[in-house]
Amino acid sequence: MLSRVADTLYWMSRFVERAEGVTRLVEIHRDTDLESDARSGDFGYWHSTLQSMCAKEQFEEDEMQGPDAFLLFSSQWNNSVINSINSARENARMVRDQLSEEIWVELNSLYHFLNSNNAILEYQNDESSFFRRIIRFSLVFQGLSDATIHHDEGWRFMSLGKYLERADLTSRVLDTLTLLGSDPSRLDLIRALRSCSAFSAYRKRYRGALTMHNVADFLLFSQDFPRSIRFSIRGVDAQLHEISGVPSGNFSNEAERLAGSALAQVNFSNIDSMIRSGLHNSIDDLQKKLMEVGQSIFETYVLLPFEIKSASPLPLLQMQQQQ
Amino acid sequence: MPLNRFSSYETDGFFDEMFGLGDGSEPLDHYHRLVSRIAKLDGERMEAKQRQAASSFLEHGITFTVYGDDKGSERIFPFDLIPRVIPLTEWQLVEQGLSQRIIALNLFLNDVYHGAKIIKDGIIPREVVESSPHFRREMIGFDVPRDIYIHICGSDLIRDENGKYLVLEDNARCPSGVSYLLENRQIMKKAFPLTYRDMSVRPVEAYPELLLKTLEFLSPRQSGKPVCVLLTPGVYNSAYFEHTYLARQMGIEIVEGRDLITTDGFVYMRTTHGLVQVDVIYRRMDDEFLDPTFFNKDSLLGVSGLMDSYLRGNVSLANGIGTGVSDDKVTYAYVPEMIRYYLDQEPILDQVPTYLCWKEEDCKFVLENLPDLVVKPANESGGYGMLVGSASTQKQRMEFAQRIRASPRDYIAQPIVALSRHPTFCEGRIEGRHVDLRPFILYGEDVEIVPGGLTRVALEKGSLVVNSSQGGGSKDTWVLKD
Repeated sequence: MLSRVADTLYWMSRFVERAEGVTRLVEIHRDTDLESDARSGDFGYWHSTLQSMCAKEQFEEDEMQGPDAFLLFSSQWNNSVINSINSARENARMVRDQLSEEIWVELNSLYHFLNSNNAILEYQNDESSFFRRIIRFSLVFQGLSDATIHHDEGWRFMSLGKYLERADLTSRVLDTLTLLGSDPSRLDLIRALRSCSAFSAYRKRYRGALTMHNVADFLLFSQDFPRSIRFSIRGVDAQLHEISGVPSGNFSNEAERLAGSALAQVNFSNIDSMIRSGLHNSIDDLQKKLMEVGQSIFETYVLLPFEIKSASPLPLLQMQQQQ
Repeated sequence: MPLNRFSSYETDGFFDEMFGLGDGSEPLDHYHRLVSRIAKLDGERMEAKQRQAASSFLEHGITFTVYGDDKGSERIFPFDLIPRVIPLTEWQLVEQGLSQRIIALNLFLNDVYHGAKIIKDGIIPREVVESSPHFRREMIGFDVPRDIYIHICGSDLIRDENGKYLVLEDNARCPSGVSYLLENRQIMKKAFPLTYRDMSVRPVEAYPELLLKTLEFLSPRQSGKPVCVLLTPGVYNSAYFEHTYLARQMGIEIVEGRDLITTDGFVYMRTTHGLVQVDVIYRRMDDEFLDPTFFNKDSLLGVSGLMDSYLRGNVSLANGIGTGVSDDKVTYAYVPEMIRYYLDQEPILDQVPTYLCWKEEDCKFVLENLPDLVVKPANESGGYGMLVGSASTQKQRMEFAQRIRASPRDYIAQPIVALSRHPTFCEGRIEGRHVDLRPFILYGEDVEIVPGGLTRVALEKGSLVVNSSQGGGSKDTWVLKD
């Protein structure tokens, strides 16, 4: 398939996953804040969340009312839910021919909704419906991707984007806990788990004992929980090998090598060793590695070896008249 | 008394597609069934259907981009639910006329780029051809694949006050709008399924297949399945929706300039598994932007080396290079002569009398009669930059007179034709609005025209400008089986 198309599909799917993740974060935070012993002030959970998303400075400069409005609606911050959906839709528009009508209609409808006044009104009047709408969209999007298009190379690039984004989001949620400035409370731990839709899965696994050790272990190393970092990296690794046709455990390009090495890192270490070397730093390392994987996917499949990097065409130049 | 939504309809002396030259009380035979269906619909039902159609367009992203609006905002092309109906015999005449025309235009192009006999024989002046901004000297002596230059043509037809069909212009570079024709049909089938079935309307859905066949016919490699691609200027182009739509319907790749590279005179697209050779490019951008090493050096949209590959015959382009000389509005005035000259036939379709401002006597006449004429730039599209004399102010006419005097070659003028009208749903009422018709003609192994075309309607009361960029809308066009 066209390299540009592969890249576009990959980003479309990343942005959808990102919108879902950020929406869930806001939803859980809004809900947890209602509790009387919730953290507030400078070492509040919101604060650490913004920090883990590298959005603290942007938030302070932004005119938005609160962190919730910022994360959902900021036009300045690239990763706000509205900007993620806009980017996903822009990417989808470029590859309309690759998507089923159903996928496009879902994404396009949400785009039009979020860019109308109704979005803010719904958020103000009935925020739970608002959250449900976006999260449900993402789930429908994934379902449709699985059920209505070929599971071919394009689909694999979409899966790649999804898993890479998931690994990144989960690592940020976990990082939030390390940035709180004091030991996370029971409520903080619940918040983190719920931010990854992982609370009931965690309970099933650990039968109740809520400790930082167990939560970090679960979010990092769970073999079979689909939002754990290990599970997500395994997804990335598997898709990369499906794309190249090279058996797992080998590599034929830089993306495969880096993904394989990240996978080995989570496969062959455990939570105790991670805590010993500092959880925050270990997570940071992992995040950097994931970013490199993303970059090398681009270099492997999109750029040609002899290519000179050129700026993308100016929109203005595309504006030729059509008869 | 049963509800009749047409009881207060006025034709106001115009030729009406539904009522002909009558006063609006008795529809023409081929409209009977449709009128009896719509006449019974109450306003609310009609509006609900209309709203449904509009939201369906928006949801499916069937939109175009408006230039000159700094948001680059997307709009839907307004759609009117009352279809235009054309009886078979009437359509057959149009079809024959259009086939005749596209064949003559192609013979003309082949001629002007190979010795220009038509100029030597004094049918068309040399300066008209050579002063056209779309005349490409580089094409002189080059044999295009299958000797066809215009593979896809969109000709605009209007009907005058007596209902006679006239050709208003030919779009022989990158005509757009066919996706609306196809989508309108989908919407209409949902809105009026039984009426549609009972009236035996000829289908249009074969267009993408016919287009692909036309493209494949051009392939320089005739062994195996040719690789055809659609080249788009990109997502910000006004017709981007149409580009993806057609690519998807044909099952071919939609590429941007940056997806293609040329090596040793061949064109390749860049895929995740390396380079793949391309045989035919359905390009939806103008000549000037295709190849920065050849035409406009600042174009970031094109593909360096594309023209070289084309001139070596390693890749085919549809439409060919240099077709713009045939849809220049000055050349247009000579098309009837071309038909007589090349085909030794009388033109089947008439066209609008045209005054050429570069001719002294015409120019004088135009300047003296501006209020009664439509002045058009010879080489613009999309309804930009024209003057409708009857609807203009003194100041606008002065400005135009100045422009005409400064560059007479760039302007033509035509009498204001009282375009036919069609009943159209306007804010709860049914009123007459002016319409035109753009059929899409494909020229490959044979000439193929899907029945009907895109009916464009000037939604503003009294307006004669039907272009989407100027407040026009569209209707479905039903050509009947018998």
